[in-house]
This record gives sequence, C-alpha cells and structure tokens, in this order.
Amino acid sequence: MKSRCFSLAALLLALVLAVSFAGCGGGGGSETPGAGSGGDAQTVKIGGIFDLTGGTGDVGAPYAEGARAYVDYYNNKGSGTKVVLEDIDYAYQINRAKEAYDKLVKSTGVAAILGWGTGDTEALKSFIARDKIPYISGSYSEGLADINTCPYNFLVAATYSDQARVALKWAKENWKESRKPRVAFVFNDTPFGRSPVEDAKKFASELGFEVIGDEVIDLKALDATTQMLGLQKKQADFAIIQGTSNLTATTLKDAKKLGLKTQFIGLNWAADEKVIQLAGPAAEGYIGVIPFAFPYDQVPGMGEVKAYLEAKGKKLEDVNQKFVQGWVSAKIMVEAINRAGTNPTGESIRAALETLDGYDTGGLCAPVTYTAESHRGSEKVRLAQVKDGKFVYLTDWIGYK
Amino acid sequence: MQVRNPLVMDCGIFTASYEDDMAILFHPAARLKVLFILIVLAAFPLVANPYYVGLANLVGIAVIGALGLNILTGFTGQISIGQGAFMAVGAYTTGILMAKLGLSFWLALPAAGIVAAMVGAVFGIPSLRLKGLYLAIATLAAQVIIEFIIIHWVGLTNGPAGIVLPAPVLFGYSLESDTAFYYLILALCLAAVVFALNLFRTRPGRALMAVRDRDLAAAVAGINLFRYKLTAFALASFYAGISGALWGAYMRVISPEHFTIAVSILYLAMIIIGGLGSVMGSIYGACFMTLLPIILREAADGISPFFPQIGNTILALQEAVFGLIIIIFLIFEPEGLAKLWKNVKDYFKLWPFSY
Repeated sequence: MKSRCFSLAALLLALVLAVSFAGCGGGGGSETPGAGSGGDAQTVKIGGIFDLTGGTGDVGAPYAEGARAYVDYYNNKGSGTKVVLEDIDYAYQINRAKEAYDKLVKSTGVAAILGWGTGDTEALKSFIARDKIPYISGSYSEGLADINTCPYNFLVAATYSDQARVALKWAKENWKESRKPRVAFVFNDTPFGRSPVEDAKKFASELGFEVIGDEVIDLKALDATTQMLGLQKKQADFAIIQGTSNLTATTLKDAKKLGLKTQFIGLNWAADEKVIQLAGPAAEGYIGVIPFAFPYDQVPGMGEVKAYLEAKGKKLEDVNQKFVQGWVSAKIMVEAINRAGTNPTGESIRAALETLDGYDTGGLCAPVTYTAESHRGSEKVRLAQVKDGKFVYLTDWIGYK
Repeated sequence: MQVRNPLVMDCGIFTASYEDDMAILFHPAARLKVLFILIVLAAFPLVANPYYVGLANLVGIAVIGALGLNILTGFTGQISIGQGAFMAVGAYTTGILMAKLGLSFWLALPAAGIVAAMVGAVFGIPSLRLKGLYLAIATLAAQVIIEFIIIHWVGLTNGPAGIVLPAPVLFGYSLESDTAFYYLILALCLAAVVFALNLFRTRPGRALMAVRDRDLAAAVAGINLFRYKLTAFALASFYAGISGALWGAYMRVISPEHFTIAVSILYLAMIIIGGLGSVMGSIYGACFMTLLPIILREAADGISPFFPQIGNTILALQEAVFGLIIIIFLIFEPEGLAKLWKNVKDYFKLWPFSY
C-alpha cells in the first residue's frame, strides 16, 4: 500500500514537472527571436553564461555579480537602449554551457552574450560564428584572438599569452645575476590552465630564460606540497601561475611552508584580493599581472561603481577586482549596443564593437581598441606586488613589445 | 465488436504460434502505443523550439551511452566506472578520422564504435579475475589512463586544445541543424534499443545474464566466461563509442574536459536511477539525469522573482536538491524508474482488485 501511494505521488510529480516543462516550452517558443522587439523604449536581450558554483566559482561569482551590477546601473540611468541580461550558471561544465548557449540563442533570443571559461568558449566558437553572436568571454585565451575562426569573439584584456610575456619580460629586465634565470610554470590541467604555457615557454627561451618545467595543480587542490618540492628541487627563480584564487593561495602557502625562494607571478585570474585573504602572510611578495583596476584604485571609472554600490547600501570594500572585471566586460558590450543604433542585431553590435578605438573605461582597464582585423582589446597590463596585505603597483600599463 | 475496459490490456490474448509467443509487442494495444510514440518522436522537431530539439539530442546521446553501460553493468553484472573514457575513445576516433584524415562521418561513426569496442575489450580482460569493487577500480584505471593519453599525446589528439570537427554531410546536405541531427540520433537510438531488447532474448544474451546471476554456475553450464565477459565489455564500449562519436559530431569540438570521471559516474547514476538490467530503464534514467538539472534551474528561475534575496542560495541548493531527489528515488524504489513506472501501470491494470 505504501509503495502504491508513493508510485502515485511520483506519477503526479512527474506530471507536474512535465506540464511545467511544456509550459516553459510554449513560452520560449512564442517569444520573438532576435533583438529589439520593444515598442517605444528599445530593449535588447543579452545572455550571460557564468560559473557561480563550479570549479572556477571562486572568481566566477564576483565576475557575474559585476556584470549584473553594470547592467542594473546602466538601466537605472535610463538613457539609450534598455538591456536585459538573462544569465545562466553552467558550473564550469562544457555540456551545460552548450545547453545554456542553445537556450539563450534559440529560446530567449539574445543578441549578444557575456561568457566565461576557456574550454566552453572554445567549444562554442563555431556556433558563435554561425549564429553571429558577439561574445565577450571571461577567458583571454590566445586561441580566441584568431579572427578567422572566432569572428564574433572579443577580448577585453591582454591574452593570457601576452600577460605571461609581459611578466617574463619584466622578470628578465629586473634580473641582476649573471647566470640565466630559471622559470617554471604552475597551472591546472584544463584548456584554461594550458592556454598560455606553450607561447610563454617559447618567449622565455627567446628572452634567455632556462625553462625548467611544469607543475600541474588541480583547481580545487588543498595541497601542493609535491609540486612545490618539485620547484624546490629544480631551484626555480620564477614561477608563472595560471589558475584561480584557490589554486594560487594553496601554492603560495605550501611554497612558504617549504621555504621556497621562488618569485611567483600570477596571471589575471590568479591575482586578486582573495589570494591575499586565503594565503595570508604567505602572499607577501607575490606578484600579479593586473589587467583591471582594484576597487581601491583612485581612477575616474571607479566613481560610477562606487555610486552604484552606495545606492544599493554597499561599499567599494565589499567587492573585489573580479567584480570590476565583470563590470567592465558588461560596460563594453553595452557601449557597443548603444552604438549599434536602432534594433541592434549580432552583426550591428559586432560592427559597433569594431568602432571602439582607444575606448577609455575611466582607468578600469587599459584603453580598448577593436578593428575588423583584430579583436584583441589591449596588450597592456600592470604588474603589482603584495606588500602588507595589499597589491601595490610596480609598473604602469606596459606591453611586451 | 468486443467492448473492453481499455485499462485492462493483457487479459484474453491467446497465441497460436511460437512467433506470436516471442513477440516483444505482445498486445495489439502495445503496438498502437509504440506507433504513437514513434509518430510523436518523429513530429517533435517540427513543432518544438530548436532549443528543445537540442535538449532531445543531448538526451538521445545519453540514452545510447546508458544502454551500453546497462548491458555491461545491469545485464552482465560487470561494474564499470570507465564509460566516459570509452565515450572519449569514440569521440576522438571520430575527431581524428574526420578532422585530420578528412574521412566522412559515415565511415568515422562505425570506426568509432569498433575502436572503442576493442579498447573496451582490452580493459575488460581483468574482469575474468576481478569482481565487484575490485573490478570497479580496474575500470577506473581505464578512465585515468585514457584521459592521460588524450591530454598528453598532443600529436594525435591536440591535447587540451581539443579537436574541431566538421559537420557530418549526408548526400551533400550538411547535418548542421539540430533538427537534422535529431533524426540521425533518433534512428541510432531506435537501432540501439531494438538491438538491446532482442539481445536478451538470444542465447548470448541469456548467457550474459547467467554470468551476472552466478558466474560459477554459468561456467558449469558450459558458458565460456572469458568470452562472454569480454563480449559484454566490447558491446558496452561499442555503444559508448557511438555515443561519444555522436557527441563529438554534435558539439563539433571535443576536448579532454568532456570525458572526465564525472561523466562516467553520471552514466552509472543514469542506469541505477533508471533501473539496472532494464532496457527501458536506461532510457528513463538518461532522460531523468539529463533533464533534471535543467528543470531544477528553470524552477529556481521561476521562484527567484518572488524571493529575489535568495536567488543565489537557490542556485547553490540546486546541487543539493539534485542529490536529494536521487537519494529519495533510490530509497523508495531501488529498482529504478523502470520499476516505478511498472508499479504505476500495474496499479491501473489491476484496479480495483489489486490483491
């Protein structure tokens, strides 16, 4: 009897789910695909594929928050095209990214997308090109800068490879000893982690580094002792980290525990306030490649971030640099949507993005330039070193060329 | 014209030949039902939004993979945590043949199945000596080794960068759209289901089940254990290979990230939820596990306008709810969705005299 009741309950549940799901289907199907179906106030839908709960959620969640915040801020300003951001958490899983992309493009009918990871953006690039969806990803992988295979992908900051090159060039210039400096690479075994490694190794050899090898650490690893022992044995002078805050903090802590002399330099996602928070004193002296401003930087662009947060009852101290990254990415996309005129479509937004020439975000990132030949927004970054629990800039905006 | 209670189906049908006795669709009403389902499946992409067709494609690919694993684990009793890796073999075979050698998809697809079957058979060799948890760890090794090879044999697989595949072409017509791909997957799914249904009515199929139930007794009864266990591994991997090949051709890009141990565990969960040793259960399980996260997400989206402040909490809760639903299902019906569905049918069939 009991099991029969359960069977019936399960059947009812299944029916309810099926009906609600079919309901979603009807709703999705009846919407007009494409943008600008509004009346007087023009409305454009854009999509967000973010990682809030997956492997890179530590940096993905503040990034998504920043992107949402900018769209909110912009809509409250009340001028120009209204932008609706429909975002989906894909938990850093490529198959879910594809599903989310299909939903956004085929069901929601978005004109452009703010994406996230390297693996999924790479996986989606052929669809992005086919569907003509301007796509700003959280990934700055060199592969996405190839305009022939990725005509609709745009990078808002220097590519990982360029970031690594800047770091290596700086390290070489500040190298005092007469022997060759030894450099190692610390990364996670994903397309994101491996993205800059080949390019960076090549550049390091050209600069006169001795490239001594790789250490692979998992994104969610809580222990990196083995890898740090490896670095210790090879006597690395420099180690370039490509990972996220968690991985970096683990690395720095274990390196300190073993007393390594290696100077660690982390690329964009490996360098933010969270690293200092998690690694504590072990973060002292750590150098980050910083393509975006910190919330405490005195730059004009931070004024609107501050105004928005205060209107929401928050302070600049409540957000971190990854929030600023999300904010900037959304800002650039929205700027292009505004420039695209009436009824922005994928193609017109792409054309509008290509009109950005030295676009100044008020110092939130290096000036961004897109042309029909290149969608690399910028090649410049700043280097900052942790001193007394805070990133202090070592350089101004520099490139490697 | 006889008037019958439409809910009472199996009463009063008598067969006069062995052929009728052996029919899968025993009752005329069952034949009608299957015909109806086929018509619905065939018409689905014509009426549905392309997004839902895309979802159906993901489900279809999962059905083939889950069926394969169910043949191995559910019907033959050889536990495997390597299904994701065997899918990877299929996907990479297709990718290498299509993108690097320029072969047609129609050659690459069977090749993917065959290569995966061979690799699967090799990793099935320990099954003669190992059982249960020991075998699970041996198949886990397959997962780790194959993943390692894919990441590090860069010359063949492009390593973590992955391979981009061209769209399959049929008679000069590119199967790029979701709808075209849907029919390809549907056809292969039907073939996979029909083959599996019939397999367990044949001598080799029965032998597989004998191996599962008591391998010593099966050996005494004259079943060559080594041969049948390897056959089961090869067959399961063949299904996985086809599933992986379809996945690659549909996603158009493959990288090692697609085929992690999480995928293997997901497929294991599919057949456990759906019903071990049940062909239909594999289908239910594949649908359930593929669609549940999406349904939960939609539900969270639906709730969040009413409770905006807990929007992010719901997102985090989704994973927990996902786990909870699975646990509840397993507690109340360990034999899976297939048994649950049978209970529901029995209830109506026997009503009002259920005892």
